[in-house]
Amino acid sequence: MSEVAKKEAVKELSRFRPATDILEREDGFHIFMDMPGVSREDMAIDLEEDELTVTGRSDQCPLPGEKFVEAQFGACEYVRSISISDIVDRERIKASLENGVLELFLPKVEKVQPKRITIQAQ
Amino acid sequence: MVIDFNTLYNFPSRLDRVFEEMLRSPMGDDRRLAYPPLNLSNDEENIYVRAEVPGVTIEDVELTLTDKTLVIKGERTAPQGKFYRQERPSGVFHRVVNIGVPVDRDKVTAAMKDGVLTVTLPKSEEIKPRTISIDVA
Repeated sequence: MSEVAKKEAVKELSRFRPATDILEREDGFHIFMDMPGVSREDMAIDLEEDELTVTGRSDQCPLPGEKFVEAQFGACEYVRSISISDIVDRERIKASLENGVLELFLPKVEKVQPKRITIQAQ
Repeated sequence: MVIDFNTLYNFPSRLDRVFEEMLRSPMGDDRRLAYPPLNLSNDEENIYVRAEVPGVTIEDVELTLTDKTLVIKGERTAPQGKFYRQERPSGVFHRVVNIGVPVDRDKVTAAMKDGVLTVTLPKSEEIKPRTISIDVA
């Protein structure tokens, strides 16, 4: 009986894949994700080997006494994973959240300058 | 992203991503509904209109209120660069909401938080429920 009550209490949120733009500029790759209703405290970004995973929860708590006539969006969970290649500098990835849009900056690895090998004369 | 052969050796995580791709995408839902998605609700005091407009500031939104309709208009700009994947909608958006009850036009307010616009329209005094005291002689 208590187990059923616990299961009902933990209600699963609808999961969505956020709309994402991935583009390349001279300095590296830029990723934009639409995460409306998600604040910075409700978002997590994880990097595991080659997988970058973004998770966010949007909260739409209705006010007391509020009744909905039409609901085209609601509380949901955003989940998205992106594979990154070796040319991305994993130590310098940056993230910022503004107006419900998450922006990720993935810089490229600094190219190693080619070295000239001197030939010793006999 | 640039594909390299290192990713082929992560087959178990690759398989997890295949199942994850089956998660619903807002882009799919948006094909049926107009953009941006709206919520219409009310309580005893106010009517609330909420719109999901990520990437838009309050200055970029133009609100127009006529006798019976609220118009929400704005524009989303696409970022500059060479696109590998483009899913976010951009351009001018325009939505018309039918407000079925009289509202106090001078007290309408709008706020933006985390990409969600909330317009609060107080109901007119004449339609609010009032308690009428009846004196029995």
